[in-house]
Amino acid sequence: MNKLERIYAKSKDLVEREIEGEIIIVPLTSGMGDLEDELFSLNEVGRDVWARIDGKRCVSEIVNELEEIYEIEREKIAADVLGFLGELEKRKLIVEDASCQAT
Amino acid sequence: MSGYLEELKLPDFHFWKEIKEKRILLSAEIELTERCNNNCTHCYVNLPANDQDAKKRELSFQEIREIADEAVEMGCLWWLITGGEPLLREDFTDIYLYLKKKGILTGVFTNATLITPELVRLFKKYPPRDLEITVYGVTQKTYERVTRTSGSFEAFRRGINLLQKENVSFTLKAMALRSNVDELEAIKSSYRTISKDHFRFDPFLHLRLRPDDKRNHQIKNERISPEEIVAIELADEERKNGLLKQICEEKKIGQETADLSDDNQLFYCGAGKTSFALDPYGFFKLCSSLSHPDCVYNLRKGSLKEAWEKFVPQVRVMRTEDEQCRNRCLQCPLINLCMWCPATAYLECGKLDGHIEDFCQIAHARAEALGFEKHIEKLI
Repeated sequence: MNKLERIYAKSKDLVEREIEGEIIIVPLTSGMGDLEDELFSLNEVGRDVWARIDGKRCVSEIVNELEEIYEIEREKIAADVLGFLGELEKRKLIVEDASCQAT
Repeated sequence: MSGYLEELKLPDFHFWKEIKEKRILLSAEIELTERCNNNCTHCYVNLPANDQDAKKRELSFQEIREIADEAVEMGCLWWLITGGEPLLREDFTDIYLYLKKKGILTGVFTNATLITPELVRLFKKYPPRDLEITVYGVTQKTYERVTRTSGSFEAFRRGINLLQKENVSFTLKAMALRSNVDELEAIKSSYRTISKDHFRFDPFLHLRLRPDDKRNHQIKNERISPEEIVAIELADEERKNGLLKQICEEKKIGQETADLSDDNQLFYCGAGKTSFALDPYGFFKLCSSLSHPDCVYNLRKGSLKEAWEKFVPQVRVMRTEDEQCRNRCLQCPLINLCMWCPATAYLECGKLDGHIEDFCQIAHARAEALGFEKHIEKLI
């Protein structure tokens, strides 16, 4: 399948917290970070992508929406988003959502 | 557009800069129970494990959930579960998982004697932020001289072996007591290699939170001398550096609530600045040791928000008119080396502004050992 057609959902094994405007991703289970005790923080752009990972939008829809926010060429946005999603998937913070693809 | 995700240790988060000058609720310590299966000579809080009256009065799981929900809404990020022995609570797993699933970084202090394979599986899958275990001795004789509980040493060994076998990391610490002082070096050499973090000794023994002359007498008998405390501290490079750093720090930590020109103000510490403590019966405290009736707030009759926003500021502006406290303790250049604070003063003297001679001696012994005493004499 084309990577842009994939749909991702956030892992059920994490909790998202916002402290003083900072998004903090708290893993519930072991094995999500490289090191023990680690948490994740998102920068502004990361937050824009993260907010759109909902098990419904496919990657290409996320890219379309970001294209409207950022004045950057679509290919560049798509490459960045795919890279970011790959990083999230590697850390088990998101999962490819097969059930959503079926709908 | 790159580097959207940062993997960070907690101290590296950006929000610390934002909250530096604010009073914001970030952490809590909850004593799930005062009951304990050990009966340590030095303990400031323990009740018998089967104390039915205490058990009945303890917060229910539902009450703890409601307080945790409110704390999370207010931004609270981590909780320490302690006791007594928190694993005595039959609903420990429910409480622990609830806090974890709220996104709270959850630590646990335990004596490890009640660790089971089920709990190891729980901690393996849902790791605690910190799992801290207290060691009382390397031999059964010394360990049980402190715990006064037959079979506790074997249970402790079994507990830490279970954790080690499944690679669940934990931190060990030891209380330095008259009953085990001769074994401290052996404790350190036996356990430091299996401790996740720096192995530390705690030589400071609080008196009972609820006045008890007989038990307080036992605690005082367990205290080691100022010279022994200082010798232990100087032998520990990390602790020694910590003291050197402490003495150079500005004494008034809670600057946003303290009037720096007001030398009558009692609270110069960080109590109630970013954290609170909760006793097993629903009483909110600014710190776990501060048990004066005027400084506790019943969460069964009010909300956490009210406690945090209205009650804490009222406590933090409490003042003293006691001449000795004003002129001796609050003005003392060694205050950062002293364990004196309104909470310990109340435990030791029955009043928030009492002078504690034992602590004064420890502070001076520390200053002398660190080479500050002569320098300080010029300031007094």
